[in-house]
Amino acid sequence: MSAQKSAGKTGVVFDIKEFAVFDGPGIRTTVFMKGCPLSCAWCHNPEGLSPAPQLMVSRAACTHCGACALVCPSPENCTACGRCIPACRGGYRKIAGETWTSEALGERLQKDADVYALSGGGVTFSGGEPLMQWGFVSSVIDRLRGIHTAIETSGFAPDDVFSDAMRRCDLILIDWKVSDPALHLRYTGVRQDIILRHVRQLAAGNTPFILRMPIIPGINDNEAHFRTAAALVQDSESLIRVDVLPYQRAAGAKYEMVGMRYAPDFAEEASPRFFTEVFEQSGIPYQIFR
Amino acid sequence: MTNRIASLKKAQWERIHHSARIALDPAMALPYRSGALPDTARTALRLETALAMETPYLFPGELIAFTRTVPNLPPIFSETEWDTIRNAHFIHEMGNVSNLSPDYGKVIASGLLPIRDALGDHALHAAMRRSIDAVLQLTARYAQAARKAGDEALADTLERVPAQGAKTFREALQSLRILHYAMWCEGDYHNTLGRFDQYMYPYLAADLAAGRETQESAFELLCAFFLSCNRDSDLYPGMQQGDNGQSIVLGGMTPDGRDGFNLLSEMCLKASAELCLIDPKINLRVNKNTPLSVFELGTQLTKLGLGFPQYENDDVAIPALTALGYAEEDARNYAMAACWEFIIPGRGMEIPNIGALPFANTVNRVIWDKLAACPDMNVLKSEIRQAIFESVRRTLAERRNLYVIPSPYLSLFFDGCVEKAQDISLGCTYNNWGLHGTGLAAAADMLAAVEQEVFHGNLLPGALLSAMDANFEGYDALRHRLKSAPKMGNDDDRADQHAVWLLNTFAEAVSGHKNERGGIVRAGTGSAMFYIFHAYELGATADGRERGTPLPANYAPSLNIRLSGPVSLIKSFTKPDLGKVINGGPLTIEFSDSVFTQDESITKVAQLVQLFVLRGGHQLQLNTVNRERLIDAQEHPENHRNLIVRVWGWSGYFVELDKCYQDHIIRRAELNL
Repeated sequence: MSAQKSAGKTGVVFDIKEFAVFDGPGIRTTVFMKGCPLSCAWCHNPEGLSPAPQLMVSRAACTHCGACALVCPSPENCTACGRCIPACRGGYRKIAGETWTSEALGERLQKDADVYALSGGGVTFSGGEPLMQWGFVSSVIDRLRGIHTAIETSGFAPDDVFSDAMRRCDLILIDWKVSDPALHLRYTGVRQDIILRHVRQLAAGNTPFILRMPIIPGINDNEAHFRTAAALVQDSESLIRVDVLPYQRAAGAKYEMVGMRYAPDFAEEASPRFFTEVFEQSGIPYQIFR
Repeated sequence: MTNRIASLKKAQWERIHHSARIALDPAMALPYRSGALPDTARTALRLETALAMETPYLFPGELIAFTRTVPNLPPIFSETEWDTIRNAHFIHEMGNVSNLSPDYGKVIASGLLPIRDALGDHALHAAMRRSIDAVLQLTARYAQAARKAGDEALADTLERVPAQGAKTFREALQSLRILHYAMWCEGDYHNTLGRFDQYMYPYLAADLAAGRETQESAFELLCAFFLSCNRDSDLYPGMQQGDNGQSIVLGGMTPDGRDGFNLLSEMCLKASAELCLIDPKINLRVNKNTPLSVFELGTQLTKLGLGFPQYENDDVAIPALTALGYAEEDARNYAMAACWEFIIPGRGMEIPNIGALPFANTVNRVIWDKLAACPDMNVLKSEIRQAIFESVRRTLAERRNLYVIPSPYLSLFFDGCVEKAQDISLGCTYNNWGLHGTGLAAAADMLAAVEQEVFHGNLLPGALLSAMDANFEGYDALRHRLKSAPKMGNDDDRADQHAVWLLNTFAEAVSGHKNERGGIVRAGTGSAMFYIFHAYELGATADGRERGTPLPANYAPSLNIRLSGPVSLIKSFTKPDLGKVINGGPLTIEFSDSVFTQDESITKVAQLVQLFVLRGGHQLQLNTVNRERLIDAQEHPENHRNLIVRVWGWSGYFVELDKCYQDHIIRRAELNL
């Protein structure tokens, strides 16, 4: 993983969102880092999965005028060269994934330091998985002195990277997706043990953190999952709260744009069940995002 | 909401009172249109006729009475007479007194009878007397009807006000309802309720101190008053339904320099949140010391999608108005006209929307006519400067020999009109005019694109014009470059500096102009409905905007661009010196309603408003929209009768708007932040 640490000069970002109201305290700007080692069945940011820049097309709006095909140098294999973008009259094409230097991104984020200060806000790095480009992200954080910084992570990262993130960030938002290890592997594509270790490390540490639980109907909307989560954070002094994030049916909206197919193998239309009384019994603060 | 208010609201929403409305016989206009009568006497006789035709209508459980049963009477002039007047005069809008802030507080306090007693033999005084008598006669009939219905409290109230000065909160509200009702019946429109929390608070405070009302009972009265403002709104004239100027101003500095935000200001915000109706629209005056909790109260309304409060910043407005020559106590006492123009209650006969400088069209014209001959940006800008000065001069030259239909009744509410026997239509202490500035962001974007591609790049002016002429058909790469050029709203000086310069130039262009009434001319950042008209006249423009794309409303970014977000937006739009363009016109931000799914968003949006204020913004309105719901409402209006949206300076019911305004709002929703 030392390769990631040294590659700190540039990073690939697929979006910068001002006034991100759900990513930590105050008025925040969230930077979405491209690339993620997980492949969660319910992922709503499919353009964040691949680390490389890629073409996004609003296929639903496309009028099939053919202007893009005329200028395409590589019709068989898109290289995200971007030549078709000016050709598209409707503006239905864009490249997801822009390469930034840490200087430029630091400057872009510093620009609004007054706003963060006024509101008790700051900057959140999300993704994708921000720890996949930790060398870059940490060098941006170094340029944000005095600004509250947070990361939103799956927790799936090398131990030294995770420990470093805990040291450098003011807040960590970490997912707890599936409690059953076998189901975890099946639905996220990765083993749970590394994530479990890092959640425990957070619970025992002193970096403030929020545990986020995406609740997917039929997969993890069961009491046992809520009980496991509660047990993980119950005695933690650094826990701010648990965020319960019910599955949003719009999750599949962007798959077609990146040429992927969204085929969830769970009952998308069902309403997920919550067992938040478990948190109440244990005195764990929580919030449901509807 | 009490049961009484809930059932009053339901009855009103079901429009049960519409069944009491009568059909008009046009012949009833013959007496007041008699050729023997001067205009002032005609207005008074028309008001008398209108009020005499009214039949008292009481809702079950009525608290604040007066409901219209007579639609608008024909005008005081025949069509031929009006054509003659039009040919000889400049007529503003419909010709009536509009967009003023009557000093209702003064008349509520004194009552109409003492004013009547002071009237003499002058023709205007006779017309005033006739108007007062007509109002009091209808009130007497309402009192009888209330007595007959067994509502002693209402009957007692109506027997006292507005003849006498109000003594209680209920009397003051009832008096205001009647006085404002009669204003509409006189034919005046778009005149606001002004600083409601200032002139009403003493009655509330006295009632609470004396134990006559509790906060709960006073709140119910306030809700009943707010409800009454929504009863007859389909009869009010305006560009669109909802555009009726029934707004109130809350908070802000008092004339003697204190902070005016009081218990009633807070109650008004809460009443509006409970009722969720379009009237009265709320303006909230704030400053750098306004506590976050006040912004949070306002944001609760924003969350409901009401499109108000609209915020005004005292820190910018008061010094700017003082610099324009307003007395300090008057500047501190400013209210808002129907939409967002700064006016002075009881002292201004101002016309803050007498015309507009079309920024986008002016800059576009210069690009067409002069760009090829301009060696650099400075020469282009000096051409634009000349064009702006010329546009202002021409607009003002067309506004000479103004005629406004007299309003003897409304004159009762303005300083000096009774004493000098001068109708308000002829002028008052302040007689200033204002010009809107429309399409500013589009103009700044054109300049940024031309600067980058023509003067810093290698684009030939002829190629740009050919591409614009072809609506960019066959010029895809160029259109893309122009669209990718810096845009106002992204905190990018390369675009924002042009907006700063354009507004400064506009302010210089109006400075020194005097209107025929001795007033000055103020520059502004508003658009009113001009944003629709001015876009029709434009073809494709140098910023890469294609033909037919609407211009932004008010002080807002272009509609065809990618925005960084609300923080950058606020930073861009607070760069100009907004005190120089204090005629008014708000930055308008649309939020997706998904922003408000968590309670903490209230605080965050409130902080964003605070940021705008701290950075020297003058005026701000926020809209919460759901694009899918808007589209569904276009297709199935019957399911969305109560969907409220902010249009340009007012909130209305979406399904009651013309399609061009609906489409514009949907388009704005696509820029959701």
